[in-house]
Amino acid sequence: MEVRMKGRPGEPGLARQQLCVCGEQLSAQASAAEPWPENAELYQQLKEEQILLSDNASSLAVQAFLQMCNLPIRVVCRANAEYMSPSGKVPFIHVGNQVVSELGPIVQFVKAKGHSLSDGLDEVQKAEMKAYMELVNNMLLTAELYLQWCDDVTVEEITHPRYGSPYPWPLNRILSYQKQWEVRRKMKAIGWAGKTLDQVLEDVDQCCQALSQRLGTQPYFFNKHPTELDALVFGHLFTILTTQLITDALSEKVKNYSNLTAFCRRIEQQYFEGQDKDGSAAVAARSAKRSLLR
Amino acid sequence: MLLSALQAGWLSSLLSRTGSTAWSLPALKTRDKGTISKTQQIITHLRKQKYNADYDLSATQGADTLAFVSLLEEKLLPVLIHTFWVDAKNYVEHTRKWYAETVPFPLNFFLPNCMHKRHVERLQLLWGDGYMEDEEKLEKELYRDARECLTLLSQRLGSQKFFFGDSPASLDALVFSRLAPLLKAKLPNGKLQQHLKSLQNLCNYCTSILSLYFPWDGGDPPAGAPRPVGAEGGEAEEEPHKRRNQLLSVVVGLAAMLAYAFLSGIVSIQRGSAGPAARQPIAMEEEEEEEEE
Repeated sequence: MEVRMKGRPGEPGLARQQLCVCGEQLSAQASAAEPWPENAELYQQLKEEQILLSDNASSLAVQAFLQMCNLPIRVVCRANAEYMSPSGKVPFIHVGNQVVSELGPIVQFVKAKGHSLSDGLDEVQKAEMKAYMELVNNMLLTAELYLQWCDDVTVEEITHPRYGSPYPWPLNRILSYQKQWEVRRKMKAIGWAGKTLDQVLEDVDQCCQALSQRLGTQPYFFNKHPTELDALVFGHLFTILTTQLITDALSEKVKNYSNLTAFCRRIEQQYFEGQDKDGSAAVAARSAKRSLLR
Repeated sequence: MLLSALQAGWLSSLLSRTGSTAWSLPALKTRDKGTISKTQQIITHLRKQKYNADYDLSATQGADTLAFVSLLEEKLLPVLIHTFWVDAKNYVEHTRKWYAETVPFPLNFFLPNCMHKRHVERLQLLWGDGYMEDEEKLEKELYRDARECLTLLSQRLGSQKFFFGDSPASLDALVFSRLAPLLKAKLPNGKLQQHLKSLQNLCNYCTSILSLYFPWDGGDPPAGAPRPVGAEGGEAEEEPHKRRNQLLSVVVGLAAMLAYAFLSGIVSIQRGSAGPAARQPIAMEEEEEEEEE
């Protein structure tokens, strides 16, 4: 695969050459020209007892993206990952002397190092890819946040105990309520506060329908090669499918679309299985499956 | 076909108002259901009445619509709000003036400020507190994203007449409603506007929709339609308000002067009642004497 050949860590010369062509914005980040190191790390919250649905989905999306780029990464779990991140959002990666958080900036960062999954797309496809990524962020991610912070039963049963789990008694409640207040205010700002759970599930269904329609019978969203959109969709759908919540309503919505579930299985097999020895993302994916099963 | 075209125009006229206000507008008055507000509810209502701009779209195109709507909402809309309502120069010199001129008299003093506050609050929630102060961060990340969003739209549109070929769909109404105000407004600080103007096909797209569905305020806006899109360019529109405002300010000024005069006792009105009437002539005489001297 041409894209990946460029991205192989063993060929820094090629990557550098490409970077020089790209121009001045990159020379500002001198370290961007360095090849991908072997000891790159991805930080997220504790897998077993702390991480929440939305953060797990975002983390898995980044892991899938890096796997697709064929870049090695070691997953590190820290209870205070959220406070370590420069943007306050999980996951973030630590590469060389740089720290980058969230999928969008990570894709940019990786691109500056000469690895890209979307180089083969034409302009219209790129526009569509970006649009679909926003669809996932706008609907799936927001629905996950809604479910875990605005649905009262889920908040009591799952979110508060998990979110505050690393901290002693008064602090765990304070931090959870603080976060809950923050998320609810944000929901109000985007007009989701007034929605009922059924309406949110309806939105998820609409989003899945659109994704399913777009995917059709292709192996990936843009035919034969994976892009960052595939990584993002995989991260969210796989997490939704494998996480046990109070009800199955959310995962049922996804399960209605057989091509989407097949898509998740395919990516899991291709990128996350058979790499157990370096203890990276495969374990993360599987342990996410296990740990979130309650 | 005609129906959908009509509707797209209709919707975009409605949408164009929400684009910048996000108040309880737009509102649609109907015979059987009273007034319906909020864009989404109106569209749903119209769908039920079988006015649907998306009949001709395939399922994949429907999916694309949803995706591009998300792109607009996430990347462009907050920055548009920032451009019109939060950017100090634009707000003071354009938006506040514009609203103060359009909104009827007693409201125009505080309504724009209320809306400004609401928008600032909303963006603070969306972006976190750091962004509003940090000009550089704002420019680097959010405005860059918005410009990218415009570029993506331009690339997706290509040389087509509408986003899905030759006939308009709901996506066109939405995109138009976001872009037209940005394109037509006379903003003192036009960073985003400059970028839009450099994307020739998007500009042509807006102009062609304007002339197709809004012939009354197309290229050369007459004073016919008192709607925001037209009001921006409509110099003729300002004239009656100017007169009225001038008159009002003179009246208010006079009233204030008179009130001050009364309150501080420079001028007093004395009725011809029994008590003071006896003394009045004497005082008048004294004054006259002084003047004579």
